[in-house]
Amino acid sequence: MSSSSHHTTRVFEPKPSQPAPVTAAGPIAWLRNNLFAGPLNSITTLVIVAFFLWAIPPLLDWLLWSADFSGTTQQDCTSSGACWVFIQAWSQQLFYGSFPDTEIWRINLTLVLLALVLSSPYWLPHHLRNRLDLALLVIFPFVAIAILDGRILGLEYVSTDFWGGFSLNLLLASASIILGMPLGFLWALGRRSNMPMARSISVILIEFFRGVPVLALFFMGSVMLPLFFPEGTNVDKLLRVWIVLTLFMAGYMAEVYRGGFQAIPNGQYEASAALGLSYWQTTLLVILPQVIKVSMPNILATSIMLFKNTTFLLIIGIFEVLSTAQTALTNSNWLGGYATEAYLFVGVVYWICCFGMSRVAANIEKKLDTSHQS
Amino acid sequence: MTEVNNRPEQEAQDDVIVISDLNKWYGDFHVLKDINLTVKKGERIVICGPSGSGKSTMIRCINRLEEFQRGSLVVDGIEMIDDVKNIEAIRRDVGMVFQHFNLFPHLTILENLTLGPIWVQKKPKDEAEAIAMKYLERVKIANQASKYPGQLSGGQQQRVAIARSLCMSPQIMLFDEPTSALDPEMVKEVLDVMIELAEEGMTMLCVTHEMGFAKKVADRVIFMDGGEIVEQNTPDTFFANPETDRLQLFLSQILEH
Repeated sequence: MSSSSHHTTRVFEPKPSQPAPVTAAGPIAWLRNNLFAGPLNSITTLVIVAFFLWAIPPLLDWLLWSADFSGTTQQDCTSSGACWVFIQAWSQQLFYGSFPDTEIWRINLTLVLLALVLSSPYWLPHHLRNRLDLALLVIFPFVAIAILDGRILGLEYVSTDFWGGFSLNLLLASASIILGMPLGFLWALGRRSNMPMARSISVILIEFFRGVPVLALFFMGSVMLPLFFPEGTNVDKLLRVWIVLTLFMAGYMAEVYRGGFQAIPNGQYEASAALGLSYWQTTLLVILPQVIKVSMPNILATSIMLFKNTTFLLIIGIFEVLSTAQTALTNSNWLGGYATEAYLFVGVVYWICCFGMSRVAANIEKKLDTSHQS
Repeated sequence: MTEVNNRPEQEAQDDVIVISDLNKWYGDFHVLKDINLTVKKGERIVICGPSGSGKSTMIRCINRLEEFQRGSLVVDGIEMIDDVKNIEAIRRDVGMVFQHFNLFPHLTILENLTLGPIWVQKKPKDEAEAIAMKYLERVKIANQASKYPGQLSGGQQQRVAIARSLCMSPQIMLFDEPTSALDPEMVKEVLDVMIELAEEGMTMLCVTHEMGFAKKVADRVIFMDGGEIVEQNTPDTFFANPETDRLQLFLSQILEH
């Protein structure tokens, strides 16, 4: 700008960006880099390919080509492959337990409601979202019980003795996760609290429910817990199991949140306090959303663990999916060893659900990530 | 902007902050020793000193981010005692800007600004947003309102942090090394906002090593060392004729490079 300067100003022109070199791109380069990068690497690749060629055809043959798909009884399973007729014949039992045929729509309705509640952040209008999400979640388990039990709604009463199958695993796990998460947060807050009473109670609860194996907790729930209830009261076994699972989830979640809390810089509390926000406002509006965001991978891992742990209920005689499968295996019409089919089926169904959960969680994580969106 | 002042006796006195014989310990470590400081309404004070001298700790006592063990502190007529109501009342009057901005990363810029007005002052959302946009205009960052803090540069984040404090219409602003974490080329944009604020008559206490800023806007410069206020003076005297050898040494260290 200054015209009085003796030398002329040199104008800075940035160099144009150039494309990256092509040596590392394309399918051939990928193969060479990843599969045949050296003698040892090439040999490993060939061995693995050979193993697949040896193992996959018979596996496919058993699973599909030589398997029996149609029919209703054991007599229809004549070929050498898997007997999927077995799964088909038991599918209603495996999914709905002994729920009366005419009332199965109630389970379906409950599952649809669960899907709607869990997906509510995606379809609720924005201004309702923050207010309703949590309420919907917390109400859901009780609505589900009302629908399945039926008495409150004037439907036919279905005792919990008839509840079972994979739908029971799903509902029990989601009801425990839904209530265990906020409860665990309260325990985690208690553990951080300055109040000695709140702190010691929280520590005892967390350490107890985290330190005792879930199987032992189930036995305590089904055998010991009734001793504490007043004489004559009969608390439903499934209800006790639900309470145990919720507390177990809360214990684990409390520790998950503790890790999350440690990741929140002190400055967040200070900035919130400096604005004049109260303890609860700071906790719920500033800290909780960030704790959940940081803890998301661990929340998912814990939820999946709890979901899988619901199969332990077979030990205390609740007819969830795995114990239904075992019942089917010992049924006199189906003797002949279909254990592989049964366990494979349960395994695959579980895997699909857990994989679905991780996809959803990954999606939520992406949604919550506000660090570098453009 | 019409603040109803229902404390006429303090208004007459004109002292918005009165710190008397303030002492603070971290465990056995005596961080603040007999601090006495009175700040008048509209006064701009710059506090400097070596690290560990207690300057940040002192201003953090003013809005109770730090507790103290002995002495008294009166802010805008409210005595700082161990009572949630009093502390909240003082915090409503005092805004603070931090070295590391401390914006809420999960909220947009606009939500960062409206959080306090909506939840503390119970303002309706649209009114809070109008106020927020006004202050974002003022710090020249209104076009970023819907972004998240992580998408802004350090200088922009610090300007947002200043706007966030201003949204609560504070009587006093505390600045705790507001430019220390910034890249050199962003220091000016933040200082410009602070200078503008000073020119409008805001009561300011500013911990900083920006001596240019001190010379330009400060009414008084305070030098702290070892938890004490060693020297305080008008900027002219402070820089030209430091009274103590400690301040002479300090000035020679920060100015000669």
